[in-house]
Amino acid sequence: MTQFRKILKFELKYYFKNKIFVGITLFLVLAIAAVMFFPRAAGIFRDSRKSDTASELSVMLVKADSPEQTPLIEDAFKEAFPEYHVQITSKDASSIRKSITSGKAECAFIINEITSYTYYVDNLSMYDQNTAIADGVLQNIYRINAMVSSGIPVEQAGSIMSVQIENHVESLGKDQMQNYWYTYIMIFALYMVILLYGQMVASNVASEKSSRAMELLITSAKPAAMMFGKVIASCLAGLIQLIAVFGSAILFYSLNKEYWGGNPIAASIFDMPPGLLVYMLIFFVLGFFIYAFLYGAIGSTASKLEDINTSVMPVTLLFVISFVVVMYSFASGDVDNLLMKICSYVPFTSSMAMFTRIAMSTVPWYAAAASIAILIGSAAGIGVLSAKIYRVGVLLYGTTPKFRSIIKAVWKA
Amino acid sequence: MILELQDINKSFGRKQVLNGLSFQAESGNAFGLLGRNGAGKTTSIRILMNVFPADSGQVLIDGRPIDYKKTQIGYLPEERGLYPKKLIIDQLVYFAELKGIGHKDAVKSVDYWLERLGMSEYRNKRLDTLSKGNQQKIQLITALAHNPDIIILDEPFSGLDPVNAMLLKDVVKEQIAQNKIVLFSSHQMNYIEEFCSNIAILNSGRAVLHGNLHDIKRNYVRDRLIVRTEYPEKIIADFGENCTRGENCTLFIQLTAPEEKKSIMKQLAAAYDIDELSVFEPSLNDIFVEYTHDTADKEDRS
Repeated sequence: MTQFRKILKFELKYYFKNKIFVGITLFLVLAIAAVMFFPRAAGIFRDSRKSDTASELSVMLVKADSPEQTPLIEDAFKEAFPEYHVQITSKDASSIRKSITSGKAECAFIINEITSYTYYVDNLSMYDQNTAIADGVLQNIYRINAMVSSGIPVEQAGSIMSVQIENHVESLGKDQMQNYWYTYIMIFALYMVILLYGQMVASNVASEKSSRAMELLITSAKPAAMMFGKVIASCLAGLIQLIAVFGSAILFYSLNKEYWGGNPIAASIFDMPPGLLVYMLIFFVLGFFIYAFLYGAIGSTASKLEDINTSVMPVTLLFVISFVVVMYSFASGDVDNLLMKICSYVPFTSSMAMFTRIAMSTVPWYAAAASIAILIGSAAGIGVLSAKIYRVGVLLYGTTPKFRSIIKAVWKA
Repeated sequence: MILELQDINKSFGRKQVLNGLSFQAESGNAFGLLGRNGAGKTTSIRILMNVFPADSGQVLIDGRPIDYKKTQIGYLPEERGLYPKKLIIDQLVYFAELKGIGHKDAVKSVDYWLERLGMSEYRNKRLDTLSKGNQQKIQLITALAHNPDIIILDEPFSGLDPVNAMLLKDVVKEQIAQNKIVLFSSHQMNYIEEFCSNIAILNSGRAVLHGNLHDIKRNYVRDRLIVRTEYPEKIIADFGENCTRGENCTLFIQLTAPEEKKSIMKQLAAAYDIDELSVFEPSLNDIFVEYTHDTADKEDRS
């Protein structure tokens, strides 16, 4: 136990003295601070130039061929495009084009008749919704005209067209819209940290072996103490980094909450229930152990640091596949499909799969408990096995040994 | 304290590496573990250090199975290496602590050894900033800082310049004087002869020769004389084919039986002008070659 503590302390110190580790953590915290303080800073910026904001609106030119419809179209477009300065024009198409290419106007609609128009814009953005909005506006005008011509008074036609439907949604389980963003961020954090720190364990072990420090280590400490010390140290380092990043995000958000006021995504992210954070912690630690033990064991069988990348490939691939399955189900909205249900109990995938299901759907407590129990059992089993592989692996130099011969040697040890 | 390896067997897969290996080493003495490459030295050291268990046989201290919690072992592996990117003081203290000594004692002891080996100025430097010889001295501290009862030194002199080799010799002599068991494994026979009172020569996983080095030499058939003379021709002419030339004006005279020694020596002293006359004793190198000559090559080929 003392040995384990010494190893843990030594390894942890390695992370805190590692400039890259400290640098990345600081960078992430600063980046989050920059994002979180942005609305406040932008607000101050905007306040100082408030006076000239009215003239800042982009210009939208509208030309209607039929003069009798022009006032109606002008009113409807002004209402539908509040972010534009809508100007009615009577210029011809080529001069309208010129004003767009010269930057005087951002876009233009030339409406030949109510059911047909041409939209002019300099660069068509991926997110340009103007035609869809214009379609709706013109459809409304067309329908009102049709109703008026068949004898319905204009006011009645207007109220028919603008009728509002009231709806109430009561989600009896989880609200996926509400949970989407923070679950997405949490899964991504889980994936990144496990992959990053798991590989760090592998290269840490392999570098000890290639520098021959292993000769001394293996005669100074028990392999199990070495393996658990290393894995738990890197788990703590990962956890500390997660806490620093998430903690600073929550802190900076709460400092700037009023400036974020209406942003639904920010509100959704920071509305994560504390219970889910506890689940995240459990699944992170257990998932991390499973992969870090595997990475450590593989690191011990590599003779050279350069071999590490190819040696860890199968484990990384396994992890990436489970990430893809989870992400696919997550994006499709059906997190309770059969594959996800199976993955929730397989130790290599359950840390992400079960966590996603808990976050996005309703999972009975016993299912979550069973998944966690399987994870704990497997983490312990893989830990003991990898300590054995480690003991055999670190003494094998030369070519990377075959999987079968390692298992045989472990069996004998 | 007596360290004893008793009938140790160990195989890896189908390859039998140790084959009933037995030897004994006592405190206050240095013990030489010799053998060609692949003879099983490293495996026996690893078994002695409990890196892996023997298939059969035991490691005893004063007749009882060794208790690794009570018996401290210091080890300088042949494959040298520590953490190149870490501070020297940090890693030395770490290794001492892994051996079970407290932080303060570890720092104190490491500082003592850095001073003793003239390395104090490198205390807070990274290992990879040091020359190879100095790195070796740092590595030696990992074997000594926790004040072990048994010190295992695998090729301790390789890579050291004559001044550092002298320093290491002094350190080893100090450790022997402190009643420690010092186990040497080396191919540099002159060092073994200088330090070790007892040796074991390993071949194919067993000790083909072990015991007191002086006794081993004495037990060789004493049927050869060494004569140093400025006028060898007359002796060569008189002794015929029993006399062969050596280097530096020496002659070897082969006796037909060891009992002739006394009379022939008398005859030589009386009849010829000779500077030196002694009974030939084989060097450790000769003994080593004699006992390990064939088999290791065959093993490698198989």
